[in-house]
Amino acid sequence: MSREEIWHIVIQQVIEVIPELEGYSFRPSEKLADLGANSMDRAEIVALALEALELRIPRIELFGASNIGELVELLYAKSIA
Amino acid sequence: MAHPILVNLSNYYMPNPLRELVITGMGVLSAVGMGKEEFSSALMEGRHAFRTMQRPGRQEAGSCYIGAEIPDVYFEQALPKRIQRSATLSSKAALLTLQEAWKEARLQEFPSEEIGLIVGGSNIQQREMIEIHNQYAGRIPFVPPTYSLSFMDSDICGFCTEKFGIQGLAYTVGGASASGQLAVIQAAEAVLSGQVSCCIAIGALMDLSYWECQAFRSLGAMGSERYAEFPAQACRPFDRQSDGFIYGEACAAVVIESASSALARGIEPYAYVRSWALGIDANRNPNPSYEGEKKVISQALSKAKLLPRDIDYINPHGSGSVLGDLTELRALRDSGLSHAYINATKSITGHSLTAAGAMEIIATILQMKYSWLHPTRNLEDPVDDTWKWIQQSAKTHDIQHALCLSMGFGGMNTAVCLSRNQKI
Repeated sequence: MSREEIWHIVIQQVIEVIPELEGYSFRPSEKLADLGANSMDRAEIVALALEALELRIPRIELFGASNIGELVELLYAKSIA
Repeated sequence: MAHPILVNLSNYYMPNPLRELVITGMGVLSAVGMGKEEFSSALMEGRHAFRTMQRPGRQEAGSCYIGAEIPDVYFEQALPKRIQRSATLSSKAALLTLQEAWKEARLQEFPSEEIGLIVGGSNIQQREMIEIHNQYAGRIPFVPPTYSLSFMDSDICGFCTEKFGIQGLAYTVGGASASGQLAVIQAAEAVLSGQVSCCIAIGALMDLSYWECQAFRSLGAMGSERYAEFPAQACRPFDRQSDGFIYGEACAAVVIESASSALARGIEPYAYVRSWALGIDANRNPNPSYEGEKKVISQALSKAKLLPRDIDYINPHGSGSVLGDLTELRALRDSGLSHAYINATKSITGHSLTAAGAMEIIATILQMKYSWLHPTRNLEDPVDDTWKWIQQSAKTHDIQHALCLSMGFGGMNTAVCLSRNQKI
């Protein structure tokens, strides 16, 4: 799966959890927290993305992503690993 | 010209305004209507919503559990998408009923630290849990993190306190089918003891799955398959042809504060909460106790300083359980209450288990307010026909003093006395 496809999957989950962001133009440098996602929302977005990608990896391996772009990058790295 | 509040004052029953508690706000959601207006017209007309249940997780292959389910459109219309997605059915119902009660009682006038919330019910979100368990069976790593919040009943407190900024107190109380009335009693105690200035009691929506339906049916508590082809006839408390309770989804919220606080805020209360009683039978089993029921009736009357003859309306537990209904009538009769009018709210709403006690207090107060008594559906051949039943159609009557009863598995009995908002 390409980086772009993973980006779209992540954005779909963000909109699923925060429906008010429907139609918003997301940028990779944006932080989920700045978009109104609380800690539970962020955990939910990550879980939904992992589910959509069928990626069974320990959550700890996704620590360190500080914005949407970095999260996509980490998911991409794990998906091709 | 006299101030309108002072004029009304002469009509209040109020021996000690600081010790007297009143109900100043109510919210209700049931399968027969959202909000008090729809609910009261459904009661008056004896409308029902019983059918073979449709909600996912309510039936298993070949089953046909009958019940009354709240239309999804109520939630879709009234709640933001984000809450629709994240909240369980029980939380959504609590938010909607609280919203109605909050607005009416103008609770925004209280500092947030002086407002309490007590949610009646425990282990109430069984269906949602079964749905998640089924959805993620074999895929455990993908279990949603929100499940860590939503599987706990106190999640309802979380949703409600966040949305309405409640900071006084918030917790859940469990008392099986008496949970709703238990929450009202706890809320009354919380105001009386000065813990908070006002307290909301919510009878939470008990969200049954087919597992609980089957267990209740196996026990003989839930109505059998006898009326599978005729769901409208299945729910028939106090009728000789009843063979158990029929489930109905519901949620109810009641706001309690002192009479003096309501007066100071210029809110005319619905009714006085004159007294309450809570009794435990020392019995783990589901069977009713004549002695236990008689005891709470007697305690409630005595605390209210009312004689049995003062009670002119009874809102019984009346679930449709053969033994339960007979035991309750015997306890009421031997308490000297056989002169009072009596009907069965559950014949219209179904048995909402944890919500029932709070919803039936609302049903009682609405009947008090509009001066009529609602019919009892399917009461064609009463198990005891010497009572003043309200059967086929509503009847005009000015309730002065009402007695509401709730009973729960595990030896729980509760009673609440309500008095009309006027001088006795």
